[in-house]
Amino acid sequence: MKNRRSEHRHPTTSASRAPVSRRQFLGGSAVAAGGLVLGPSILAACGSDGGSGTALKLARPDKPVTLPTVGDAVAAGKAHEGGTLQILNYVDYLNPDVVARFEETYGVKTAVTTYDTEEGALNKLRSGAFTPDLIIGMTDSVLSRLVAAELLQPLNHSYLSNFGNVIEGLRDPYYDVGAQYTTPYIIYSTGIGYRTDMDVDTSYFESGNGWDILWDSAYSGRLGILDSYRDVIGSVLHRNGEDINTGDQKVLNAALEDLREMSAATNPKIDILAYTEVPAGTRVVNQCWSGDMLLGVWYLPEDASWTELGYWQPDDMVTGNDVFCVARNAERPVLAHEFINFFLDVDNALENFGWTGYQPALEALDAQTLIDWEYVPANLANALITPAQYAKGNRAVALEPDVDARWTDVWAKFTAG
Amino acid sequence: MTGTPTSVTTSDRSRRRADRGTLWGLFALPGTVWLLVLFVLPFYALVCVAFGDIDPVFRNAVPAWNPLNWSFGNAGEVLGEIFGGSLRKVFLRTISYVVCAVVLSFLVGYPVAYYLARHAGRWRGLLLALMILPFWVNYLMRMLAWVNLLQVDGWVTRAFSVFGVQVNWLDGQPITVVLGLVYGYVPFLVLPLYAALERLDGRLLEAARDLGAGPGRTFHLVTIPLSRPGMLGAGVIIALPMFGDYYTNDMLSRSPATEMVGNQVDFYLNATTQPQKGAVLVLVLSALLVVLMSYYLVSTMRMQREIRA
Repeated sequence: MKNRRSEHRHPTTSASRAPVSRRQFLGGSAVAAGGLVLGPSILAACGSDGGSGTALKLARPDKPVTLPTVGDAVAAGKAHEGGTLQILNYVDYLNPDVVARFEETYGVKTAVTTYDTEEGALNKLRSGAFTPDLIIGMTDSVLSRLVAAELLQPLNHSYLSNFGNVIEGLRDPYYDVGAQYTTPYIIYSTGIGYRTDMDVDTSYFESGNGWDILWDSAYSGRLGILDSYRDVIGSVLHRNGEDINTGDQKVLNAALEDLREMSAATNPKIDILAYTEVPAGTRVVNQCWSGDMLLGVWYLPEDASWTELGYWQPDDMVTGNDVFCVARNAERPVLAHEFINFFLDVDNALENFGWTGYQPALEALDAQTLIDWEYVPANLANALITPAQYAKGNRAVALEPDVDARWTDVWAKFTAG
Repeated sequence: MTGTPTSVTTSDRSRRRADRGTLWGLFALPGTVWLLVLFVLPFYALVCVAFGDIDPVFRNAVPAWNPLNWSFGNAGEVLGEIFGGSLRKVFLRTISYVVCAVVLSFLVGYPVAYYLARHAGRWRGLLLALMILPFWVNYLMRMLAWVNLLQVDGWVTRAFSVFGVQVNWLDGQPITVVLGLVYGYVPFLVLPLYAALERLDGRLLEAARDLGAGPGRTFHLVTIPLSRPGMLGAGVIIALPMFGDYYTNDMLSRSPATEMVGNQVDFYLNATTQPQKGAVLVLVLSALLVVLMSYYLVSTMRMQREIRA
């Protein structure tokens, strides 16, 4: 999921219990796609204020980064500011019922401005055209850049009494040692969603390298992959036993050849619609994010069973997470902290999960609890990430600019057909 | 003294003519400003992005405003891919899709425009209004309607299956993309064609008949040649946006088998930290379109000269 946001357009993840229709969903996605016109990109590019000097030090799980302190956190013990909390977020990425309860509890209003990609959000924030109080959905891909641009303020943990609910592995994350600027929002993994009732050969998944199914011509025309170069190339590298963040051109070239073989064998659709297409049965195998299948149960036809969806992820899964952070020039920093704290509450996070389909990064909401409370069907237990799995999982980390360029070139050559 | 009034009058006339010239010239001012602000400057910015760099920290484009600082590394890479790499296929595919779509659009649109212009009679107004109706609906929405019709359980697919034909239309099929382009752009072809055909001098058609030409020969020898400027204009109007189109393919296919240049531009500009390559692709595409436009202009001027002669 991280890369859905960091590298491409964000899907309309309407995950209400009464799911939106396929047409409504596609409409939303397409409008978003249509909005990605060339002009703004060029104009945004021209808005640059010139070079910024040396490259940043990028965080790695084995090389954690303590981000530089920029400014002071808001003082402790202050009452919240009231008024309207300005939030920058992906579309449909918060349960409106939980947000309404927050407004009622604190006697305030909230206003959400949306973004499609992290890069777009970064440009918007740097331009100064919009100053939110709270930013939701960023990943470590842009975190160091947000801090370097002095767009974030350090958090004051005295307002975050629920921070202890966060899974242990993310209380002191490698990308923000000491959680100076961020608290985690949701966690996810990358794997394969499939239909259990449509003759999918599950021996691929039992063999341990389920990625191989993406090369099986038996699923030609009924198979999809993510529209995310980080996830797709990363999965090919993982299949080949390579480092999923490699910058080695030879290894990447080999991945390109594998991708071309895949294309010849299965003619995959490239999009982020697994959560509607697999439930609809138009795809029987689809590389996807864990949340896609959790969400997909609400898109199954009425007469279908939840057990018709399955999800596979490798044992050493590729995981990631999104974060909450407070903007440097926030007018309501205390209220922003209160909002974060509200969503770190177990009950609120659970209700939010029930609507968005994305797993909260909270210790109490483990796989068994979510299944026992019937938020997730047992057959999709694989799509949930335990703290232990998260701790040992691979991370698709931010890439250096030259490495990132190699990856995007491989992707462009693959999609060129 | 006798010559003075005459010379004053001549001078007045020239001044008045000059004043009138200035006045009419002012009419072009808004358009000129518009062109400068919304085309020339953005285009220069595009060039500066194409030949510029990226910020090592924020990874957005750093345009090289001074031509002396232009770097051509990215342009060289992109051109290398176009002439000998993966982009060659993309360009050839795009050109073939656009050519097919324009030809199909003419096959569909010309008879419609001809009927509207020459034979619709009192229904012309209503039919024209119906022709414009698709403009009331957003292009993306119209494409989405096709997604619903063409999906596996969609009406079109089911209709074909009645005849034993099973087609997965949305499975990266070139024909789907081409038909999508035709559907999306054909109204833009019909209207200028209608305008050209409606202006045809009926007396020329009558003369052809009087000289013994049947309807077919009249159409072939008189109508088609006279409507050629309109055809060229209409063709250019739909071909230009088709070359840069990416959302039709995005919605109806999104498969490597049908990738068009616009999709690569979209990817590099919106989803990567290499916007320079996207900008270079736009420049290459623009150069291609300039060739097309030049052909259109030269042909139009030649035809005008022939008509005057």
